[in-house]
Amino acid sequence: MNSRFTDWIWHVSGSLALTSGQSSEEAFARLDPLFRQAGTSHERAADTLTFRKKDQAAQDKMSIFDGGVLQIEKGVTGPVLRYRLTSRALLFCFLAPLLFLAFAQFNIALGKLEKPSTEAAGKGNTSKKPEKKDVVLPQNPIDKALGAPAPEKPKKDGADKEKKKHSPTAAYVFAAIFALLYVIGRILEDRLVKALFRKRLLSS
Amino acid sequence: MAGVRVGKRVIGAQSPVTIGWENIPRVEGGPVKQFVFTWFQPTMLFALLAFWYYAPNSIAKASTAIGIGIGFKVLLLSLEWVNPRHESWRLTWKELTTDLFYVGLGYTLLRMVDSYIGDGAMIEAIQHAFDWEKFSWFMGLPLLVQAFLISFIFDFGQYWMHRGMHNWYPLWLPHSVHHYITQLNINKGAVGNPVELFLIGLGIGGFFDFLPRAALMAGALGMAIGTYQHINVRFNTPRWWRFLFNTTEHHSLHHSRDFEATRSNYAGSYIFIDRIFGTCVDGEAELLGLEGGRRMSIREQMTFPFTEGWKTLKERLGRPAVAVPAE
Repeated sequence: MNSRFTDWIWHVSGSLALTSGQSSEEAFARLDPLFRQAGTSHERAADTLTFRKKDQAAQDKMSIFDGGVLQIEKGVTGPVLRYRLTSRALLFCFLAPLLFLAFAQFNIALGKLEKPSTEAAGKGNTSKKPEKKDVVLPQNPIDKALGAPAPEKPKKDGADKEKKKHSPTAAYVFAAIFALLYVIGRILEDRLVKALFRKRLLSS
Repeated sequence: MAGVRVGKRVIGAQSPVTIGWENIPRVEGGPVKQFVFTWFQPTMLFALLAFWYYAPNSIAKASTAIGIGIGFKVLLLSLEWVNPRHESWRLTWKELTTDLFYVGLGYTLLRMVDSYIGDGAMIEAIQHAFDWEKFSWFMGLPLLVQAFLISFIFDFGQYWMHRGMHNWYPLWLPHSVHHYITQLNINKGAVGNPVELFLIGLGIGGFFDFLPRAALMAGALGMAIGTYQHINVRFNTPRWWRFLFNTTEHHSLHHSRDFEATRSNYAGSYIFIDRIFGTCVDGEAELLGLEGGRRMSIREQMTFPFTEGWKTLKERLGRPAVAVPAE
């Protein structure tokens, strides 16, 4: 399969037109502080800047990216900055729903596995203690006077409890959350990094 | 850095911290903002307690508590947006996603494990073995007292577990990775190695969960107090609150890059436990983390306790027996 069809998942690329008089030297000088962060290393060769990040700080403006290439090319109307950045965070967020769906399936499997034994245990329970049904739970007079509702005997429904114990709902919810987060992140971080470069390059 | 003497200790010699309430900045802004961020915490606490106290049995259920818990977190996230404590603690997409990954693990994987070997399973086993009906006098206590006792017993256990983690290497290993966080946000409490999260979740408070309503109120106490440990919001917390309860100020000091500062404020909700045992320090810190604030990836958080433990073990056992000749 051609990697072009999957690369967009964790690569952010774009271009930005520089002001006509700006040399690549000047442009990279303006961007330089972005690559002087903890855990970041970068090299420059003529019109190309390559950077790598490892254990980047949460406060790093480009913390979502692990590496990338920035190039200054000559466009029709003037110099253009083209960049291609890699983000493992985006890739993992894209894959996270799969992990949570796997958890959900695992939960369902566990529930099925345990069902026979629970049923047997449940039968034993019901025959043993039917006399405890009508016990009135104590309530402190203070609570009674203040008007708190009278306590209710908790229903000991073993089967229901067992069903809840291995419910896959939470895993499905998180799978959905990460799918949504991915979409938000892919759009938001694309814009944020472009805005960051623009601010650095074009501000006077 | 000179640091500040607190009792017998010098705090802040390695990394900047602020000690003493009088030195902590207050909420800036107009009268409405001042009002909201002064009264938010007590209002939420009392409103939640009143709700659980009076809610009819049909509403006072665990599912309602989960709904309220999620709603409360979303509300606090919006407060972080409006009134951040430190700009450097701002939540970014990456931080939020990372935090939610740990929250997700807590709700799925950890819950699965907990159902077999967690405190709930243990308590159930023990309750079956003994005649716990003898403890039913507990149900006759006023609801608030029951709720406080359940949460206090849990927090008391957590205090010693947490203190143990900071003092005993095998327990420190799984806990250490939680200290690599460099900012406090709502979901940062869930960030850590699953082994640690399992250990810290163990508690004997559940022994006294006879009445669902009391257990729900205990949960509300934990939520309306303990959540503020990890939050990037500046509040004008009332004096009585910060005397009794843990705050983000206390906890930021606990997460500071200053070693002495981390050895304080161990309690989850009730900081007065720290006051009783002499480990409480009132103050705050902005620079957090270990190893100069290196951010640890999720993968490393998962493996670090084991790889680091293995390294230490090898060093200890594999030390060459041949004496090095002195020069």
